[in-house]
Order: sequence, then structure tokens, then C-alpha cells
Amino acid sequence: MIDILAVARPAPTVFDGTANTVAVIVLLLEFGMLRASLFGAQVRLYAAQSVAVSVLAGVVAVGRGVPELFILAVLSLLLKAVIVPLVMMSQLRDSRAEIAGSGSLGVASEVIISILVAAFGFFAIGALGIHSEVLPAAALSLSMAVVLVSFVLMILRRDVISQAIGFFSLENGVSMASLVIAAGLPLILEVAFLFDLLVAVVVFGVLIRVQSDRTKSFSTVALDRLRG
Amino acid sequence: MLTLSLPVIQALQVATIVFASPGITGVISRIEARMQGRRGPRILQPYYDLAKLFRKESLAPLHSGPLFLLAPVLAFACYLTVPMLIPVLTTYALPLGNMGDILGGGIILAFASFMVAAAAAETGDPYAQLGASRAKTFGAITEPVVLLVVFTVALVTSTDLPYVLAATVTSGPAQLVRPAHLLASAALFMVILYETGRIPIETHTGTIELGMIETARPFEHSGPYYALLKWGSSAKQLIFYTLFLNVFAAPWGLASTRDLGPVLFAIVALIAKAIVVGVVVSVIDNTFAKLRLFRITEFVSAAFLLAVLAIFTLYLGGG
Repeated sequence: MIDILAVARPAPTVFDGTANTVAVIVLLLEFGMLRASLFGAQVRLYAAQSVAVSVLAGVVAVGRGVPELFILAVLSLLLKAVIVPLVMMSQLRDSRAEIAGSGSLGVASEVIISILVAAFGFFAIGALGIHSEVLPAAALSLSMAVVLVSFVLMILRRDVISQAIGFFSLENGVSMASLVIAAGLPLILEVAFLFDLLVAVVVFGVLIRVQSDRTKSFSTVALDRLRG
Repeated sequence: MLTLSLPVIQALQVATIVFASPGITGVISRIEARMQGRRGPRILQPYYDLAKLFRKESLAPLHSGPLFLLAPVLAFACYLTVPMLIPVLTTYALPLGNMGDILGGGIILAFASFMVAAAAAETGDPYAQLGASRAKTFGAITEPVVLLVVFTVALVTSTDLPYVLAATVTSGPAQLVRPAHLLASAALFMVILYETGRIPIETHTGTIELGMIETARPFEHSGPYYALLKWGSSAKQLIFYTLFLNVFAAPWGLASTRDLGPVLFAIVALIAKAIVVGVVVSVIDNTFAKLRLFRITEFVSAAFLLAVLAIFTLYLGGG
């Protein structure tokens, strides 16, 4: 039996395994957004995903000794897991519409399509052979998959909430990629990205508000009835 | 200390599964009842039920063939065979332990389920046939998940013998936190929820015929044959729990020698771990609603996603 174990693929180190697991959780939460049927659930999924990205930053900070990442982790936790969800929820509090069944396909087919798209992202990035000093390369592929699945989410869900959340979670994927490639990116740049996101949130919030006030629904299908 | 011979341990593996399984079912229904604020049945109630059924007369529908009465016996024989293939009590392979891998065990379990479905089709009872056809339909869509889990195991250990995976998992923390292992375990757990007929797939104790899948199949059986089917489904549940626990999630507490003490400890440890899984299953039972029939595909696609991601991360060298 020992011989068989020796032939087997070696396991990544505990640090790599943990980082990859957190990255996989980020991707799974992105998939969860495909089937969320309440806007509260959608916003909570985004908050959970942001927590996972912050945890990843924390893991890198501890495991690789990059203390400024702690600041980034705390900032992104505050902004993306607390402030953005609060802003979204307060914009939508008095809205009675829901987002159930806004997918243009069934959930199972959406998941299959997203798996295919994610696979493309995975292996396209994997083929580049990028090696990072702080995080395993699989995390980079996973972040590419997050970005692509968020595109699928924005395309297939026909409600403004999912589309906005898809856009925000795209930013989560990008910040995960930046953790892999450039963990030592100057903090000021990272923080600038975060505040860019805040602007987007406010703009999207207002747009969603206007849309739901005018059409009494979150559905974008209703938009082409407004012509003329 | 008394040293047991290998065939005795082999027999003990089968005996543990067969005789502990109604007790595990009893514990789960007790915990479930307690969580719902009921007193619940006695823990030993499944044994009393079986004893009662074995004393009863059995009847067969008028035009059913010999398969109707043969199927419960064959299915039960299958459930007696599988515990020989998986690590129930020991970390080392027993004499017959290497005669089949995880896929072999899966085929035997699938054969048992096919026999029960075929017997249900013999009856002419619409509900039994409904259950049988549903079980086969959803069985067909959970099959890819099981296969991908097996492929993950094969990629991790370069073999698909369950003993080797258990040894790999216990070899260090790096093996435990790798995403491929966690994802495959989670996917297997979802398959187990399906296979043992639990929420969110179906209500285990329900009597609503239209929602039934697994529980509708033995509708026409009675007496000792019904007892064998009921006993078989408990045994199947414990087999799946054992597979999940002793191969994937927690292969600790197994005997690594042939001494009596560790083997007895392994029996107790297995039952304790199975009860922990039972608690988790009861919590799921009480927190989620049953899925509508046509949303079961969503549940299966989620399990499929987990298994596919396990393979992806392995291929990228990150699993």
C-alpha cells in the first residue's frame, strides 16, 4: 500500500490547500447566485463571497507574512461585506418585487453552461503557466472562473438585482486574481479600487431604485415596453 | 490480548453493518422527533418492527412472477456483500476486501436497487411502479456524480480501492484540506442524501404517495419479505454512512491490528460516528423543505458541480 501512495499525486501543502479551498468557496458562492430566488438571498450571497475573499487575503497575510494585506482584508471586509450589502438593502427595503424565476434557462442548464464556461477559464489560465510566489496557480484559474461565471450570471438572469450583484462579484473575482498575481500591489491602488466599487454601488442602487419605481418589478424584460 | 483471525473480522464487518443498522435508523428517528418537539419512538423500535414483520404471513399480488419474492432476498444479499469491500472496522484490507473497488461496490448496490425496482414493476400497483420509475430516473442523473467522485479518488490515490483512500486521508493534514477531497466528500454526502431518501429529496417517514420515491417501492410486499426490504434499506443507509465516514470524512478509530480490543473499539467508533452523521442528517431534515419533484435536478446539478470542480482543481495541480 505504501508503494501505491508513493505513485499518487502529491498533495499541495496545507497553506496551498487552504487557499485553494477558500478560492473554491468563492466560486461556489458565485454558482449559488445563479439560483437565488430572493433579492435578500442574492445580497447575502454576495456578502458571504466578499467575506471569503477577505479571508483569502487574511490567509495570505498570515501564511506569507505580508502584513499590509491585513489592512486590505479588513477594509474589503468592512466595505464589501457590510457597507455594500447595507446600501443595497436600504435601497430595496420598500420594494415588493422579487427576482424568483428570472433566469432565461432552467437552473440545472444554467449550472451546466456555467461549468463549461468555468472550465474554459480554468484551463485557459492553467495553460499560461503563471507561477506566483504567494498563492498557488489554481487560485488564479479559480478567480478567472469566478469572473466568467459572473458574466454568465449577468447574461442569463433577467433582473436588475442579479445583474448588479453579478457586476460586484466580478470585482470579487478580479481582486482574488490580484491577490494571486500581485499580493504586494501598493495598498493605495487596492483601496482606490474598493472606492471605485462604492461609486458603482451607489450608481447601480439609484438605477435599480428608478427601475423598480417605474415598472414595479426588477425584471429587465419590462424595459422594452417603455418605448414610445 | 486475544488475536482474531481475518475471516472472523471479515464476518464481524458484515455483522456490524447488518445488526447495527436498524439501531442507527432508530436513533435518527428519535433525534428527529426530539428536534420537532415530539417524544419519538423507542430507539429499538426498528428491531421490534422487524421481529413483528418476520412473524407475519406474506402475500403476493395475483399475477406477479417469482421475481417479486426473490428480489428482497437478492437485494439483502447484495447489502451483505458490500461491507466486505469497504473498510468498516480495519485499516488493512481483509481477504475478500480487494475483490472489488468502489465501483464494484457501487455496481452491487445498483443491482440491489434494480432488483427492488423490478419487483415493484411486477406488482401492477401504480404507486410502487411510480416509485420504481422515479428512483431509476433520478438514479440515472446521480450516476455521473458518483462516477466523478470515483474519478477524483482515482486521481488522488492512483487507484480506486477504498482502503487506499482512507490511508491517504489519515496520512496528514495536507490531504484533509485539499479542495478536491473536500469537494468530493461534499458531493458524496449529497448523493447519500438522495440514496437514503432524505430531505430535500423526499420525506423519509412520509405517507404522501405522490411525493414518494424510495419508500413507495416496497408497497406491495408484506411479512418477512417486507421486513427484508426495510432491513435492507437501513443496511444500505449504514453502508453509505460507513463509506462516507471511513473512506472520505473521518477514517479514524479503525483497527490497525488483529487484536480484539481495537476491533471492538472500531465497532463502537463506527456507531458513534454514524450517529453524528445521523444528527447532521436530522438537522438537514428539519431545516429544509422537500424539493418539488422537478427541482431535484437542481439538487443533483449542485452535487455534479462539486464533483466537477474537484476534478478541475486536481488537473490544475491545486487539488
